[in-house]
Amino acid sequence: MSFLAPFALVLAAAASVPLVLHLLRRRTGEKVDFPAIRYLLRAEREHSRQLKLRNLLLMLLRVFAVIALALAAARPIGRFAGGSHAPTAMAIVLDNSLSTSVVVNGAPVLAKLKDAARSAIGRANASDRLWLVTADSRVVGGSASAVRAALDRADALGGAGDLRAAVARAAQLVRGGGLPSRQLAIVTDGQATSWASAVPLDGVATTVYAPSLATPKNRAVISAQAEPPHWTPRGAVRATTTATDSVTFRVALGARAAARGIVAPGEDIVVRLAPADRGWLPGSVELEPDELRGDDVRWFAVHIGPAPAVSVVAGTGAFASTAVDALAQDGRVARGGDILIGGAESAKRPGVFFAPTDPVQLGAANRALERAGIPWKFGALRTGPAPVTGAGLAGVSALRWYALSPRTALEPGTVDTLANVGSDPWAVAGDGYVLVASPLATEGTDLPLRASWVPWLGSAIADHLSGDAGSITEAAPGANVARPAWAHELEEPDGNHREVTESRFPAPDRPGVYFWLRGTQRAGALVVNPEVGESDLTRLSVAQLEARFSGAEVVATDNASRWVASAFSFSGRRALDSSFLVLGLLLLAAEAVVTRAIAPKGD
Amino acid sequence: MPDKNSRADLMDPVSIAALGRIEIIARWVVEGFLTGLHRSPRKGFSVEFAEHRAYQPGDDLRFLDWKVVARADRWLIKQFEEETNLKATIVLDVSKSMAWTGSPARVTKLAYAEQVAAAVSWLLLRQRDGVGLIRFDDEVRTVIPPRGRSAQWRRIINALEDPGSGKGSDAPGALMKAAQLVQRPGMVVIISDLLVDEAEMAKAVSALRAVGHDVTVLHVIDPAERDLAIAKMETELVDTETDASVNVMLSEVRDAYRETVQAAIGEWRDRLSATGSSYEPVYTDQPFGVALRRAFAARQHLP
Repeated sequence: MSFLAPFALVLAAAASVPLVLHLLRRRTGEKVDFPAIRYLLRAEREHSRQLKLRNLLLMLLRVFAVIALALAAARPIGRFAGGSHAPTAMAIVLDNSLSTSVVVNGAPVLAKLKDAARSAIGRANASDRLWLVTADSRVVGGSASAVRAALDRADALGGAGDLRAAVARAAQLVRGGGLPSRQLAIVTDGQATSWASAVPLDGVATTVYAPSLATPKNRAVISAQAEPPHWTPRGAVRATTTATDSVTFRVALGARAAARGIVAPGEDIVVRLAPADRGWLPGSVELEPDELRGDDVRWFAVHIGPAPAVSVVAGTGAFASTAVDALAQDGRVARGGDILIGGAESAKRPGVFFAPTDPVQLGAANRALERAGIPWKFGALRTGPAPVTGAGLAGVSALRWYALSPRTALEPGTVDTLANVGSDPWAVAGDGYVLVASPLATEGTDLPLRASWVPWLGSAIADHLSGDAGSITEAAPGANVARPAWAHELEEPDGNHREVTESRFPAPDRPGVYFWLRGTQRAGALVVNPEVGESDLTRLSVAQLEARFSGAEVVATDNASRWVASAFSFSGRRALDSSFLVLGLLLLAAEAVVTRAIAPKGD
Repeated sequence: MPDKNSRADLMDPVSIAALGRIEIIARWVVEGFLTGLHRSPRKGFSVEFAEHRAYQPGDDLRFLDWKVVARADRWLIKQFEEETNLKATIVLDVSKSMAWTGSPARVTKLAYAEQVAAAVSWLLLRQRDGVGLIRFDDEVRTVIPPRGRSAQWRRIINALEDPGSGKGSDAPGALMKAAQLVQRPGMVVIISDLLVDEAEMAKAVSALRAVGHDVTVLHVIDPAERDLAIAKMETELVDTETDASVNVMLSEVRDAYRETVQAAIGEWRDRLSATGSSYEPVYTDQPFGVALRRAFAARQHLP
């Protein structure tokens, strides 16, 4: 048993008053003449046992009455039956992740969760403290009506949110609630991916409601991206689905449908496009709808530009010429003088440059790099073979390469390391250049002999030399993302602009493509898609779910009534002040009865 | 200093008027020459006419003045002036316990007892009976032998003004003195709070009864003594006569005390009734005439 107002226990000291009076009653009093004292002595003599018993009983009744009233004033709470629930700090954690929007038996699971939470809120009284914490850790606290209103407004998120963080936040609120009785009440669909790891409760007793519902078959687009992200102007859209049956799909680019088709189970959707549009465009891959609509569409962003004009520096060799010819035939580059491909001794931005074939040219190459403003220089010659690690370079080996080192300290974000050999950078890219540490010759690297040579070169040109320095960032709804240093405004899917000042900020809740603006021009994209795990509707059993929580007493149930009944009283601690008050009054009533009834009757 | 005859606390005219309709009928036929109000076994004893009074149902028709009835159609009873054979002695307790009242709104037990004694004296003297007075505390303070003369009233009133000086009560001694004073069987009226030794008191009363006295005991009780009605919650009560004291939480013992007082009254009644005496508790918040009527009403049923 504990007390909400323990200072009131001081009142219990008043219980000593009747005790002291009882002990001192024969020693105090004012002298009064009374001739008939013989009758008094006789009365005491004849009723001494009865009087002593009655006095003792009265003393005990008074002492216990005072103690009971003092206890009532101290507002005790304890694990006893009866009485209303103890004043409780309770946070309801509402799992409103995307998966709860799935429709089962004609209604979203979220509606069922909200109904249960609404019933639990109905058990709150004025002495409770109440909060609603949603899966995105947003908190609404206050009166039961305010929390109920917030519950009514709560919609399913576009993503998974972070239930673990929400629970931690709720536990923090409850612990800081200033009430000794604390409870977390969680309503969730029990999705396995949402409760993948153990959730610490930090000593806050918790009840979990996870309705037992059928798991509908769900198909989702779990990836969609433009290949490469910068089309010049040709490119492809690749998407992966979880469909277990053939399903129709639709690929949209900008406001137009770019392709439709049917994808078989296990196959990727690959659509090659050469749109007439230019610039940054939003795209989506969409399946026909099922019970969970939120993952039937997935967004991507693509930058579409004209084919860059590329020329090969004389003497670079056949590998470069052949590759450029192939890219030109595919429409991905045009022949021209904008972008150079050649040895570093002829470096001039923009271009793709390789280490000199002849070591004698190393000094000239470094001077040319310096003149071109490329902040790198070739160093010591290293020999292999050694595997090259980098995107699109699987199986490529370096035979001879120069150690690349920055000429000056590089500013973060200005250079991309495209590939490495061991710990040495092998291919680096920056503003208007791609620099490779090996000569474009068979004695330098086997890259030109590989099938990946032409695609790699095409990507290098499209991604780093096509005149757009923008980038694509992918994030889940609510995830913490970094703002590009040059961007201060975000264009939302509905065309509205939103100022962004924080260096890091939570990604928008609504899935879609958001564009970073440089001035008034789109210069990059933030693509928001739900987490892939949200499409997996596999649910934990009640026992499995209960086992996910640690650090406090937990009861999980799929019975809504039982869960609601446990709200505010799960700890079993109940307010006992009214019980003690009644007890005190009963004792006082008994004292009055003893005083009047038990004593011998007069005339 | 006001005349004793006009002292309102001693000569309450309202009480006297109320008592004027009481016919004291002796429960025990006392020898004497009583005529008038007293039924005498010696019928035809010579009398001297004194006055008429209105006939009342129950009056002996022998004393109806038929001449007046015939002449004026008025029913009058002839009353005769003669010396009665009844000699009464009032034994008044003036001990310290009597000089006590539980409330300033009431007279002390002693003052009340003196009122009663005066009233009884006047009543008896008015009927030409002999009245005497004995006042006692721890010793006999006043002794006035019973007489039926008019000066007796003055002597009794004067004696009632003397204060008692003792503390305790020696009622048996006073009663023995009364027995000595009245040689012939007569009437003894004891007015006391009876805070005396019960056995000794009963023995003395028995002795009086043995010689033929008609004994009436008026037990004067202050209501505070009956109910333990003292305003203090907790107090040390001190016996005014013995200085014995007791600490008590009044609310706790009040009911037991009341029961004890009632038991004591019952015991007195039983004990004195067993001797053939009359016993009446008298409370000082009642008109003393009421108590007197109670005390003497029983005699009306005696032969």
